[in-house]
Amino acid sequence: MSAEGPGGRGRTGGRRRDGKRYFFRRRKVCRFCADKIDYVDYKDVKLLQAFVPERGKILPRRMFGTCAEHQRKLTVAIKRARHIALLSFAGD
Amino acid sequence: MSEGGRVYEILFVADPGLEEAQLDELVGQVQGFVEKAGGEVQKVDKWGKKRLAYLVGKHREGYYVLLTAAAGGPMVKEVERRLKVTDGVIRYLTVRVDEELRKAERRKARRTEHEARRRQRTAARAAQVEAQGGVQ
Repeated sequence: MSAEGPGGRGRTGGRRRDGKRYFFRRRKVCRFCADKIDYVDYKDVKLLQAFVPERGKILPRRMFGTCAEHQRKLTVAIKRARHIALLSFAGD
Repeated sequence: MSEGGRVYEILFVADPGLEEAQLDELVGQVQGFVEKAGGEVQKVDKWGKKRLAYLVGKHREGYYVLLTAAAGGPMVKEVERRLKVTDGVIRYLTVRVDEELRKAERRKARRTEHEARRRQRTAARAAQVEAQGGVQ
């Protein structure tokens, strides 16, 4: 499943001088906050689609780094879009 | 808040098999529903035929029409009831939008104000540094 969406995982690894591995995780920023989207529109299929994988599931916040407020709005928008067949329910 | 000031979006999906004339008639009919229920249609936006994300009945695609209407709450009930029994409408969704849009508007205004203030502050600070003879 490709969960690489906006925000992404952004993890790069490396090795310290003493040989121990370390990981650097880029801090994910809510895309709605960054793009200053105040109203998450259920009609904007392109935008919503970026946040649902092919199976059509709504993913947890940690996948995309959306903030709590925008995740809530996103969830509602996705559900509305599903109802009028703009987005699919789980399954293809 | 008074009831009349509410704004709703009524998005419905019509049977794509309908002909242009039938479709116009259907849209007119739905507009009639809104007006009869005491609402005022502000905008009619025909998106046209789109592929449905899943099968609805036996339909693979549908004709999307978006109405924006100002009305009170009881209008929604009445219009939805009628949409349900209208042939040719395969899906509908009514969403109240005025509150959310107003909130978004307010947030945008607040943000631009913040930014203006911040810019002013940095400008003021730069001027002060200059007056003191530049950066140490």
